[in-house]
Amino acid sequence: MQIDFAAKELTVKLVYYGPALSGKTSNLRAIHWLGTSNACGELMTLETQNDRTLFFDMLPITVSSGSGLKVRLKLFTVPGQVMHNATRRLVLQGTDGVAFIADSQRSEADANRESFLNLKCNLEENGIDPERIPTIIQFNKRDMGSIRTDEELELIAQRSKEPIYKAVATRGYGVMQTLRGLIRDTWTKLERDHQLEEKFGISPIRFMTEVEAKLKHDPGPGGR
Amino acid sequence: MQDQTNVADIMMGDVVRLEDVLSRDSVTSVCKSFFGLFGLPVRVISHEGDLLADVHRDQPLCNYLNTLGEGELECARTVSVVRDMEPDVETIVHPCFTGAVYRIVPLEYQGRPIGRFIVGPYVPAERAQPPASLLSVDAGIDQTTACAHFDTMPRVREHIAEEISAHLKGVLELLLFSGHRAQLASTMQVASVRENYRELAEKNEALQSSFEKLKQLDQLKSTFLATVSHELRSPLTSIIGYTEMLESGAAGALSDGQAEFLGTIRNKADQLLGLISSLLDLGRLEAKSLDLNHERIDPHALLSDLAATVVPTANQRNVSLDIRVDDGTAKLWGDQVRVGQILLNLVDNAVKFSDQGGTVTVRAEDGEIDATGASGLGAALFTASRPAVVLTVQDDGMGIAEENLSKIFDAFYQIDAGTTRVHGGAGLGLSIVKQLVDGHEGKIEVTSTLGEGTIFSVTLPAADEDA
Repeated sequence: MQIDFAAKELTVKLVYYGPALSGKTSNLRAIHWLGTSNACGELMTLETQNDRTLFFDMLPITVSSGSGLKVRLKLFTVPGQVMHNATRRLVLQGTDGVAFIADSQRSEADANRESFLNLKCNLEENGIDPERIPTIIQFNKRDMGSIRTDEELELIAQRSKEPIYKAVATRGYGVMQTLRGLIRDTWTKLERDHQLEEKFGISPIRFMTEVEAKLKHDPGPGGR
Repeated sequence: MQDQTNVADIMMGDVVRLEDVLSRDSVTSVCKSFFGLFGLPVRVISHEGDLLADVHRDQPLCNYLNTLGEGELECARTVSVVRDMEPDVETIVHPCFTGAVYRIVPLEYQGRPIGRFIVGPYVPAERAQPPASLLSVDAGIDQTTACAHFDTMPRVREHIAEEISAHLKGVLELLLFSGHRAQLASTMQVASVRENYRELAEKNEALQSSFEKLKQLDQLKSTFLATVSHELRSPLTSIIGYTEMLESGAAGALSDGQAEFLGTIRNKADQLLGLISSLLDLGRLEAKSLDLNHERIDPHALLSDLAATVVPTANQRNVSLDIRVDDGTAKLWGDQVRVGQILLNLVDNAVKFSDQGGTVTVRAEDGEIDATGASGLGAALFTASRPAVVLTVQDDGMGIAEENLSKIFDAFYQIDAGTTRVHGGAGLGLSIVKQLVDGHEGKIEVTSTLGEGTIFSVTLPAADEDA
């Protein structure tokens, strides 16, 4: 997080992590498409090869709070392919929250696990404690065949430390709930660490209300 | 350019300064095109106050006013105010005392002010007459001249000026986005390469460190083997010596039972001595401290000696020995004792692993050694062959599985634990053979088919004719 007291400006970095082809870029595209134009900036897709991310995608969202505080949310994706680990580690630098986009298909369970371990490892390499950074998990591709059932995800959610969300990112279902959940958890952590309410006079509840107002609701199933 | 930017800002995907992502040339080019189309002066200024582009034509009215004391002062004041104005979100239209206006449009990127551009001065087309503030700016002003110059000022309707400015803003934002994208791509490219290099360098360092440790351990192992072998040999020599003395009756006559037991003791002690000698050889070979006394070796004599040594064992196991030396086979260049040791090891193994009634064939013939063994591009230039003698030991025993062939020359390697129990040995023989062959600058090859047998080919340099 970057704080500019003079400009009353806060920049928060959120990273969408996950295995290759799990739908990280699709999440950002959907947010860009569903989000209100006065909050969402241009989606920047940085270097692709055969429609695969090579560096990252970035979507800036600006929330100007009624309290005079301007919050800039910078959403990043990482390249999921194993060989781009150095780039993933670079993009993770200074992140404030992580949305882990998992593929719901049973065949991708190993890839999900491997990528999550890689996330932990890269966070540690960047000096970030994986136990303390706000992380949420989205099970994407709920419209595919041979996926983990809703009942299974319910069970997983009960024993999961991270909040679980469901989504079909290509159709925009669940992406805004995921984003709101990520922003809420991240803000709660930032409030705890930096006493933002005391410094900027904005409570977490009020901030989330303003975020909700700035970002349009999507009609999908989603939710925990 | 990039070294002035803040790495943390880049990792946040932010633009630090307008001039970092917009080239002055391209902005100037866009502004010139804008000026050419609409005749309106444009200036682009960064958030930090640097002028990135300035495209205008001196207005006769401004030139005239600058010849008047008060006019010049008022002009300078207006220009200074306009230049320092930084609108937050909305465009500012700032009036000039001449009746013209300046339109100051903010440039914002990803929620942050990054600069502004100024369109003007121009006269809103809605204004027909020059204002009193122009005509009374200086006591010496010639109103007719001022009015004439006022009429030559660029004119545009305000709503058109607003649309033109919005269009220019869109173009500049597009340039900004593309420039930022290119900046991030190149920064990430360099950062990724650096990060990969750092990772590889760390791994290489770790590997090098492991390698050094392993080398030290290997050295320790060799030293340990040599020391232990030496320390074991001394008492063993005494055991063998005293056993021989007992057998010779030096301490009195022996009963049949005593003689048999002593025979067993000596037999096992000999085996142990052989093993210890092998360990010592291996230690010396690995430490490259084994001296080889090269001489001309007659293959006939070599194989005859070998036969004399091996025949008793072969007979015991009912294995036939077929020894052949091709006519005219050249003499070998090597250490007679060590070449004998190479062959003895191979033939001993062949006999050991042959079934009852099997045959072991030992053959010597002329061959060649490729000095480099190079293949592919330029092989003709790099390959140098020299005359050699090929010693082949072939058995029709159980054979070796292909996946084990690459390991059989490793020290202490046994294809399976059962082999040791059935056939004895510590798995040192072939390792020593390989090192001895290497020490002679020769090569050893093995081919095998499970159930059909194994062929070892040792190629050693031939002695020069006149050596």
